[in-house]
Amino acid sequence: MTLRDRAAIVGVGWTEYSKNSGVSTLALALRAIAAALEDAGLALGDADGVACHRVGDSAPAFAVAQSLGIRDLRFHVDQFGGGSNSAGVVGLAAMAVATGVADCVVCWRAINARSEHRMGGTGRAPLVEGEFQFQAPYGFATPPQQFAMYTRAYLDAYAVPPEALGQVAIAQRAWAGQNERAVMRTPITLEDYLASRWIVEPFRLLDCCLETDAAVALVVTSADRAADLRRVPVLVSGAVFGGGHTLYSNGRQDLTISAAAEMAPRLFASAGVGPSDIDVLELYDAFTPLVLMQLEDYGFCAKGEAAGLVASGATGPGGGLPVNTHGGHLSEGYVHGLNHVAEAVSQLRGDAGPRQIVGAEVALSTGQPGYVAGTSSALVLRRAG
Amino acid sequence: MSDTGTPLPVFDRDSRPWWEAVARHELTMQVCERCGRRRWPPRALCNGCGSFSWRWIAASGQGTVASWIVNRHPFFPGMEVPSVVVMVRLDDADDVVVPGGWGGQPDGSGLRIGLPVQVGYEENADGVTLLVWRPAD
Repeated sequence: MTLRDRAAIVGVGWTEYSKNSGVSTLALALRAIAAALEDAGLALGDADGVACHRVGDSAPAFAVAQSLGIRDLRFHVDQFGGGSNSAGVVGLAAMAVATGVADCVVCWRAINARSEHRMGGTGRAPLVEGEFQFQAPYGFATPPQQFAMYTRAYLDAYAVPPEALGQVAIAQRAWAGQNERAVMRTPITLEDYLASRWIVEPFRLLDCCLETDAAVALVVTSADRAADLRRVPVLVSGAVFGGGHTLYSNGRQDLTISAAAEMAPRLFASAGVGPSDIDVLELYDAFTPLVLMQLEDYGFCAKGEAAGLVASGATGPGGGLPVNTHGGHLSEGYVHGLNHVAEAVSQLRGDAGPRQIVGAEVALSTGQPGYVAGTSSALVLRRAG
Repeated sequence: MSDTGTPLPVFDRDSRPWWEAVARHELTMQVCERCGRRRWPPRALCNGCGSFSWRWIAASGQGTVASWIVNRHPFFPGMEVPSVVVMVRLDDADDVVVPGGWGGQPDGSGLRIGLPVQVGYEENADGVTLLVWRPAD
């Protein structure tokens, strides 16, 4: 048995992206879910499963299920963990509907990450249990620090110049200029990048994702049922989970290779496609270097070559390898990776307006590639028909 | 969170003896009694051979810089910037990297990946003994 093309995303919904939503995180989640169900042509009562991932601020799965009025809840996941799980939650929902465990699962990520609970700390007690106990006492505990540590090793190993990180930010800002939802739309230059202040070397401010108040939701049902709904189904062709190595895993000797390198062969084999079949890439981008590492580790270029690829303009508007067409976490906003899945759906349905990739049929959408807590997940999505 | 704003470690039943050794200015690690694999952080099970049998050994305290960061933004109240955090690959096991403070320049000058370093110890304002790595002699 295979999961390939047996489940579909049939609805997508967003709230406004802002610095202060003015409403509760649960209210944000419910607004996005209601919009996604309406997009699918379904009613609130049609959902019988709920799935989200969470770290920091979140709308709990049980509270969402109760709020939606689901009387016979058949599937629930409240997955602890960050962006590693953003694609995986959709994969779990696909498994549930493909196997008949549930009929219609809503996935969401809701977060008041700017106005209420900022990710990872600053001024708030960070997580110091588990492996973090060995680093937090040095004041090494927040996401930018964690990713900066890997990035230094990566930049050094492949002699990648700092400007290469800037090119990622510039390309994604150019995409965001074509996305009305994006929080940051003003074009930036390499000069702007190099003038932006240090946060934690080797990261400048423009290497870092935004902190956003927003929610995104998706509706997942079986491919059979999807064929009868009003929107063109976006099939889940492949869903993989992987990783297992952390900074301290006792087994990982090279800090510069992500879990994506292990997942990519399984992902493409399960979906029956290869990198050359992918029309649009929505790559988890909490920080700029993750785009470079994933381009390499998912097999779009050799190790060390992503910097040149991005600098050539290939990943930006008009390029041959479009990456993060919504602007990503760097410029659209931070919805913990679920906005990347939503953008893939938009592109495959032909809904992406001025930034539409003409004829897009297959998309890759990834979670954080395993640099924190070691795990990762990814999806290959395909337009039905 | 401590009074000084620096996060405090939460010792668990696997890690407490390691932290207690650090407080005595000793760097330790586990060794598997079946396959001899050296490991850190402390765990009950060998992920090489699956044995639950292990003992503590003294680590050499020597390693090389695997990576480092320079904090420019004060991430916690009272955090001094710039300040460096290093990850050190132990000479005892090339797949073990250990974080620590840096005894060299606070702006990271002089650091490079592969730089030989040796461990030292420093008590912080909360009375917790932490590792401080310095260039090897």
